Amino acid sequence: MNALRRDASVALAVARKDAIAELRGRHATVSTLFFAGIVLLLFGFALGPDADRLAAAAPGLLWLAVVFAGILAVSRLHLLETDDGALEHLALYPVSRQAIYAGKAIGGFAVMLLIAVLVLVAVGILFAVDVLGAWPALLATAVLGAAGVAAVGTFYAGITVRLRAREVMLPLLMLPVLAPLLLGAVKATAAALAGDPFGELGAWLQLLVAFDVIMIVAGAATYGYLLEDG
Amino acid sequence: MKTRILGLVALAAVIAATAVALFVVPPDQNQGDAQRIMYPHVASAWLAYLSFGVTALAGIGWLWKRDLRLDAVAHSAAEIGVMFTAFAIWGGMMWGRPVWGVFWQWEDPRLTTTALLLALYVGYLLLRRLSDDPERRATRAAIVGVIAAVDIPIVHFSVEWWRGLHQTATIGSPDRVLNPAAPMVFVGSLLGMLGAFTLAWLYLMIRRYQLARAEAAREEARRMDRIMTARTVEAAR
Amino acid sequence: MPQTTIYVSPRSLGAPDRRPPAVATAELARLFAGSPALAGVTMTIQGGRAIALLGPNGAGKTTLLRIVSTAIRPSYGSVEVDGLHLNRDAAAIRERVAYLSHATGLYDDLSARENLAFAATMIGTPDAASRVARALADVGLEARAEDRVGTFSAGMRKRLALGRILLGSPSLVLLDEPYAALDVDGMTLVDDLLAAWREVGVTVLVASHAVGRLEPLLDGRVVLERGLVVDVHGEGVKHVPPAPPAAVRPAVAGAAR
Repeated sequence: MNALRRDASVALAVARKDAIAELRGRHATVSTLFFAGIVLLLFGFALGPDADRLAAAAPGLLWLAVVFAGILAVSRLHLLETDDGALEHLALYPVSRQAIYAGKAIGGFAVMLLIAVLVLVAVGILFAVDVLGAWPALLATAVLGAAGVAAVGTFYAGITVRLRAREVMLPLLMLPVLAPLLLGAVKATAAALAGDPFGELGAWLQLLVAFDVIMIVAGAATYGYLLEDG
Repeated sequence: MKTRILGLVALAAVIAATAVALFVVPPDQNQGDAQRIMYPHVASAWLAYLSFGVTALAGIGWLWKRDLRLDAVAHSAAEIGVMFTAFAIWGGMMWGRPVWGVFWQWEDPRLTTTALLLALYVGYLLLRRLSDDPERRATRAAIVGVIAAVDIPIVHFSVEWWRGLHQTATIGSPDRVLNPAAPMVFVGSLLGMLGAFTLAWLYLMIRRYQLARAEAAREEARRMDRIMTARTVEAAR
Repeated sequence: MPQTTIYVSPRSLGAPDRRPPAVATAELARLFAGSPALAGVTMTIQGGRAIALLGPNGAGKTTLLRIVSTAIRPSYGSVEVDGLHLNRDAAAIRERVAYLSHATGLYDDLSARENLAFAATMIGTPDAASRVARALADVGLEARAEDRVGTFSAGMRKRLALGRILLGSPSLVLLDEPYAALDVDGMTLVDDLLAAWREVGVTVLVASHAVGRLEPLLDGRVVLERGLVVDVHGEGVKHVPPAPPAAVRPAVAGAAR
């Protein structure tokens, strides 16, 4: 119980530290959001100007933009740890590795959720999709999707932050793993926007929950090894 | 010597199973001769899954025991798994062209799942090349191998659902043969092919492992040589 | 700054003669990209001693400290810290070791106080707020406590990193070039810290080029060159020259020979 409380305070300290740095430096969110906006705009050019076609493609575009932006965001959050050897020091503290993973993932989740919600709003405006009508289901999808990207991203950014070719390797390793999350989130969003005519929304949300739980457990179990591989 | 015998037996078994699939089994009612591609295709897909399972388990073994032999097993299995995955995709496309009229059928969950598997494990192999320290390489690879393996079932389910949550399995999907109503001759031929391919897999695994160990021995000899040189230089001063 | 003002947290360390060696290495070697930074170091450092690690650039001092700190693993050989084996008890070693490295590990966007408060949570320092305030005062950064570390000079960063070590109660302190980038006051601060640790029986291993300055503050010294120990002086440190090749044991099983 005591150990659990200590882990929780360590995780919160790590997340809080990332949040403070983010609020002051804005390394991850502003540029990443801008990037997501550009991606949406380019999708519009690539598929438009037929409004119906854009509205039909909106769920897919939304989540592609979120996932692409997510790669940048988690990468930025880990680059923070390269401030003067911080990652090495983080590994040297006598704390459980799961707590460090949880802290980094919570920080990543907060950033990802912000990105997902803002991109959702942008999609509503740009592609004339009624996002307000189905907001509870869309918010649930955004939360689960953001958690999944954060869980996987924290983990892969932890590996690639020490690689020479990290800009290439992070998306290359992360995107195939995120494929089921992309499927689930796109389908859930499409179902929610259409008013769930086939009653499949619940199943897709369950898939996202399963993905999140499995990836969080796997990430927490292995993060320590990558933190220690120096 | 034993490995060579295993290799010859595996070769003979693959040739025999291929002959049975080509000449003994009658053509499929709906798909005709194209259906015959299914035998090596399903066998390759099975071996891909087997390989990636071995990669994950050997990776966990490395993290637990820190024995580089386990890393060599994981590496060998991943490489052979990627080969069989590519072969399965190729077979699926060859089959898809006459049956569906297109090389790539997005509705087929096998094909799309397998393509994602290929992407996952090509990433694994690329990551391995980026580390020149054997232990770091083994650790990073083990972690990525574990994550990729736990991702496989989720990929499988999501793609299966994605195709259509309320649709029954596509008629003519390759695994149709495995259902109990299929004639014995199809089932027998498929099982024969599975057995033959698995033997071939075992042979390839042993050979690839030996190669990996030989590479490791060379790397190790070079490292030891550098250490001994440093010592000799120092001792001579 | 008189040394008595510095607060070094005590730790029950046991009688000096009954303590296990603070650091014991056997045929320790580490390669980076195939080239050896350490080529086989066998030595023991007695608990409670202050020992200098000397030698030219590239001699392996930093690599040795990083291995002992658990930041990296050895390629060959073994290490024990206070009788704890590096492979098995890395977590327990981390509780006992404090490490000042070249890289300070500080976050630029956080203030000095926030950086130390974060470290205090991670170390598990009791009574964190007052200990952080005390450490800031001890390293002379009270006036700049609320400023972002990104605005600090290299010397101030070094002081803050020293302050972080004061938050724990280590039994072994590893210092990598502690005098580098510091002004005269800062160097005196390091001297005072060394004396304070020595007084309470904390083992100190310090890699430095400032031989003359360190001489009166230390019990012994180890000289490294090209990854090997070439000379040992003074008390508290023993060294065995490299054994024949067969004695070099890989740190992991299954390394092919």
